[in-house]
Amino acid sequence: MADVIRIPIGPQHPALKEPANFMLTLGGEKILEAGVRLGYNHRGIEKACEQRTYIQDLYLLERICGICSHSHSTCFVQAVEEIAALEVPKRAAYLRTLVAELERIHSHLLWLGVAGHEVGFDTLLMYTWRDREVVMDLLAALTGNRVNYGLNTIGGVRRDVTPEQKEKILQGMDILEERTRYYIQIATQETTLIQRLSGVGLLNHEDALRLGAVGPTARASAVDRDLRRDDPYAAYREVSFKVITDNHNDVYGRTLVRVGELMECYGIIRQLLKQMPDGPIAVKAPRKIPAGEALSRYEAPRGEDVHYVKADGTDKPERVKVRAPTLANVQVVAHMLKNRYLADMPIIIAAIDPCFSCTDRLISVAQADDRRADVMTWGQLRDYSIAWYRRRGVDFSGLNRTFRKGGA
Amino acid sequence: MTDEETIQAELVARFPFMRDKVRVQRPRRVWAEVGQDHFAEVFGCLAREMRFTMLSAITGLDQGETLGLIYHLARENGLVLSLATGVPKAQPVVQTVTPLFACADVYEREVADLLGFQVQGLPQGPRYPLPDGWPAGQYPLRKDWKPESLGDAKAEKGGPTSG
Amino acid sequence: MLTERIVRWARIKSPWILHFNTGACNACDIEIIASLTPLYDVERFGVLLKGTPRHADVLVCSGPVTRQVKDRLVRIYEQMPQPKFVVAVGTCACSGGVFQGCYNVEGGIDTVIPVSAYIPGCPASPGAIIDGVVKLLGSLKQSK
Repeated sequence: MADVIRIPIGPQHPALKEPANFMLTLGGEKILEAGVRLGYNHRGIEKACEQRTYIQDLYLLERICGICSHSHSTCFVQAVEEIAALEVPKRAAYLRTLVAELERIHSHLLWLGVAGHEVGFDTLLMYTWRDREVVMDLLAALTGNRVNYGLNTIGGVRRDVTPEQKEKILQGMDILEERTRYYIQIATQETTLIQRLSGVGLLNHEDALRLGAVGPTARASAVDRDLRRDDPYAAYREVSFKVITDNHNDVYGRTLVRVGELMECYGIIRQLLKQMPDGPIAVKAPRKIPAGEALSRYEAPRGEDVHYVKADGTDKPERVKVRAPTLANVQVVAHMLKNRYLADMPIIIAAIDPCFSCTDRLISVAQADDRRADVMTWGQLRDYSIAWYRRRGVDFSGLNRTFRKGGA
Repeated sequence: MTDEETIQAELVARFPFMRDKVRVQRPRRVWAEVGQDHFAEVFGCLAREMRFTMLSAITGLDQGETLGLIYHLARENGLVLSLATGVPKAQPVVQTVTPLFACADVYEREVADLLGFQVQGLPQGPRYPLPDGWPAGQYPLRKDWKPESLGDAKAEKGGPTSG
Repeated sequence: MLTERIVRWARIKSPWILHFNTGACNACDIEIIASLTPLYDVERFGVLLKGTPRHADVLVCSGPVTRQVKDRLVRIYEQMPQPKFVVAVGTCACSGGVFQGCYNVEGGIDTVIPVSAYIPGCPASPGAIIDGVVKLLGSLKQSK
């Protein structure tokens, strides 16, 4: 007989039909069925792209997502440059790659903190986001902004790197490499964390392939794919790096993949700075792009980002289609939630590093034998999850205390 | 012969109607087009026999009299073949490709919502990406659609149904 | 009235914040959270993040208000007790930003609910966010 679970009802009255992002049917404490309902931050960007010039679209597409903005900008501009048969100068390709890897660093460190927050390991959030500020400062110095860098133009980039900035970047990489070694230590030695993340969000290799998983989520199920190696763009052919895979098939594996990728980022950036060729940073691009089409792919921190662009000889694109990496992982999420404990949901979702807001997702919850659905907020779900695990002896209060006392 | 040329040759050899319909744009980018009458066999062949194991995306387009669909298929080695097809706008019915690619589910719902495709064989599920209450018959990515069209339309519950 | 002044004093000392994203790209949300982390540490001003509208003094909003979330934004605002304040963080929240004219976007937060303070930026930096919050607290102090 399943336990009756009191799920706290949110301030939103269940009778009011809010668009829930997840619709769960529970059997006791387990998720029997999970429906994922996306689209609440659908803004109509693709349509807007058709009514704006290519340069305006660069600025618009950067703002699809505030974490991988350079990914979208670069993926788009590569498609346009292919249609216009523009040869981007090598130095520009290097600079794009530099910012791409700096973005990967900030994204993965951000993710580490968010993952910590979701399981109640809040001091990890404080530490990783403090370290992340090292790379935010570098990006701001290089590009003029912490996010939404505006680095790209059609035909190259808009800003160059100075020798002083190069020095600062190298120093930053040394600092972050040491800090990341510490996070790897935590990830591989802190039993509370290992316990909490292992066996959760299971996705075996065959299902990862079948469902089309991308990014670290796929690589943690031993799917050996990374567009930087398989479909190289920008300056990735000029540097050597390892594609990090793991075979834990769970959230723990996804953590290991991301910290492993961080270490590779530092190596790639050092190579880029050492080898960066002299020369111009952009070629002149026509305002009107000749008729044609192109498909551009980019390995964003979350996985494969795809942009299709169709040009019609005017200064505005005929069609811009964006398939962001999180959308490719939607089915994977639904699969990973099924037959799992409700308490595992926050970290399962967090582990695909989803590109949708984490502050206001609503979850509609109904017991299998009772059609009436209650609505939980994400915060309530997280609190439930942390309490559930605490009752089973997985408790981060100790680690939080140690870290607060200056464990690093 | 490059990989791309091999693919070109193989497609034409298997499907003579594909002569002059396969184009190599650059390394790792092949473009092909096929009518709906032969779509299933060509698509199935690419997915099952020619090692295109990944469906990266599906692009829908408004081409005036027709609605276009481009399926961007990829191999493990990074080669992408984009297969374009089309249907009359007056009867935009296509078959789901989810039996071959589970990830197509949300991509097909997207072209249904934004362009008005009727994708047969899609299981019941929530619409994507338009909100509940979006008025029926309004397809934002169609060239003749303007945001002002939303002003007078009455809201309707639910979204595109399957099958 | 004395109770009003006590309540106002308590609110100035430690306003409780509810953070809500109305369809933003997340950049402003991350900068809001970053302002809670040690480097910027807005908690030293007594600002606390709360989970429910019923206890919130200040609603901190990002995003250009998509159709999906518009009703929810209004409901959250209505559930907040008086006196309540709304801060629009980021250019999208101020005016719709780059998404002005996009078909699924309403525009700035003030097209839906009244806004007390506007913090522009794309994204608004943690420094700008803290500056805006401090200015709002300052204006509360000054009102009778």
